[in-house]
Amino acid sequence: MIGKPEWFSRRKYGGWGLVPKTWQGWVYTLLIVAPIIVLQAFVVNTATLILLGIWMIVVTADFIHIMAHVAKDEREILHEAIAERNALWAIIAVLAMGVAFQVSHSVASGTGATVDPVILTAIFTGLIVKAVTNIYLDKKD
Amino acid sequence: MKTKIAELRKKIGMTQEELAERAGVTRQTIISLETGRYNPSLLLAHKITQALGQKRIEEVFEIK
Repeated sequence: MIGKPEWFSRRKYGGWGLVPKTWQGWVYTLLIVAPIIVLQAFVVNTATLILLGIWMIVVTADFIHIMAHVAKDEREILHEAIAERNALWAIIAVLAMGVAFQVSHSVASGTGATVDPVILTAIFTGLIVKAVTNIYLDKKD
Repeated sequence: MKTKIAELRKKIGMTQEELAERAGVTRQTIISLETGRYNPSLLLAHKITQALGQKRIEEVFEIK
């Protein structure tokens, strides 16, 4: 792995992800992550596209590793869990309203009840992840 | 929960940062504990008690 968890803290107020908290974190962001954004403008052939793809996979794996190991004490873990739960409730509410709107709109326009499969997949995936997580946690402790 | 963290910490001349480091938490968590806004787990209460050089959790934390 390239980056170290102690260089970053979790993003609290501006979405999800990481925020550099040490100079090493800023160097990592500038030298490892920023080139992806810059390189996208210079994709001219398949070779550069493959190179960029490999680089993105490496950075994504490193990012996941850092995210999973960023130090949090029990109070921060609790706060994060509550914030993520609230965010999820908001997302579910919007998805549910989207389903209701699409069904009513499609019925009103005489095409029968149709719903965007992406919305249904998102809800169904969330349902499965929740069930699997609860099964795992029940068995774990 | 009522705590004597601030009182005991000042008595031994320890800063919030030092206590946070010893207990493995952030300074913000120490502030929340001292002001009684956050109720710690048994494990954290034990770590704080030890970090303050006390033997019994009841010497640091008191349930109101």
